[in-house]
Amino acid sequence: MILLPASEFTLDELTLAYNQSRTDYLIPMPMNPDRLNEYITLYDVDLHRSRVAVTGESIVGLGMLGRRQDQGWVTRLGVLPEGRRQGIGRALLGELLHQAANSGMPEVWLEVIKGNQPALELFRSYDFQPTRELIIARRPPRAVANAAALLAARKIYYLQHGEVIDLHCARHERMNWLNAVDSMRNVRRLAAASVGSDPHDGVPLHQLPHLSGLLVEFHDGSRGWVTYLATTLELKRISVEVTYGPPDVVAACLLELLHRHHAAQDAVVENIPDDVRWRGFQRAGYFEVFRRIEMVRPAENVTYTNEFSP
Amino acid sequence: MKTILQIEDNYANTRLVERVLEHQGYRLLHAADGRTGIDIALQEHPDLILLDMGLPDMDGQTLVAVLRGAAGLVHTPIVALTAWPEATAAQMAVNYGCDGCITKPINVTEFAEQIAAYLR
Repeated sequence: MILLPASEFTLDELTLAYNQSRTDYLIPMPMNPDRLNEYITLYDVDLHRSRVAVTGESIVGLGMLGRRQDQGWVTRLGVLPEGRRQGIGRALLGELLHQAANSGMPEVWLEVIKGNQPALELFRSYDFQPTRELIIARRPPRAVANAAALLAARKIYYLQHGEVIDLHCARHERMNWLNAVDSMRNVRRLAAASVGSDPHDGVPLHQLPHLSGLLVEFHDGSRGWVTYLATTLELKRISVEVTYGPPDVVAACLLELLHRHHAAQDAVVENIPDDVRWRGFQRAGYFEVFRRIEMVRPAENVTYTNEFSP
Repeated sequence: MKTILQIEDNYANTRLVERVLEHQGYRLLHAADGRTGIDIALQEHPDLILLDMGLPDMDGQTLVAVLRGAAGLVHTPIVALTAWPEATAAQMAVNYGCDGCITKPINVTEFAEQIAAYLR
């Protein structure tokens, strides 16, 4: 078995291998090449430092490495059924960590689906430590019958992409890789990713994918914002921040206002922490689909206080 | 003859369902992704839609929402076919307005009867 850079493979080959590695997965989430390309773009996956395991002429596994400044992120790690129980997953992970260390990324993050005990144990054996549980939740499209949020709102500001990015930059909270400000910035690159060109090359700015947002002040002095990416069918990349007031109540009001504007779209939130805002999501009609466990392999002498034992 | 649209990206799963249901006299249509599934559903108005929740081009839940919102498909039974844990799948089916869910791998001896029940 040899490990080759993922950049030596086509998107079609990587997609097929990824899908085959997930056929009997706990929560199968297949992709097509466009979706994988979007994923690579949004999350700064470095294909030169990602690896594909090959035996003979067959791909038997793959693992990807994202890079942001001095942080790495292991993702899409999987072994095809015919390659299982041969140490291929361990070899892939070891090589990704080697790549991270050699490229100036002493700290590496990842997420594992809660309940995937073999993967959790593999990551622990490489000194990854759980930091927190993250929730993946959805809300089916439906009209918001309750007008309470609308009546409670004193002022609603409609935010453009640049204003949304500014809000995310000002956040003090440590966001998960998927919801970090870099992921939000990369939304602009999605059109470019699909045509393989510069994002501003010939595409009018207003036609590029963009984030939108609502910043709301309520009559009782509460305040907060919700940002999102709206497509024809879905609301994605939803983030909620409560700057003043009870977090669950304000979060619920913000989401109800959002869904009043976008009643026809399905909504999905990924990797939100299980804190008091989650109750606001639930009040606004979201339900939990599954959970991931966020883990970090810290740089030396760094500790994380939000320890958690699954 | 009743028509069933199967939206499923896995070839082996598709063939297994086709074999079982064609043997029962149903007409089977197939789409390997969500976009194609929407097109076929809107053109053919099948009697039942069997939907894999994990599709390569869009989330199965989003697809259910689209199909449920289409004028000609409001009363068409939609059955989720999924490898997700049973409780998760059932919750998803209820929340998104599916008529039911069947977990994979299908039980070949019970599958035809399960489908017949949704068509009654």
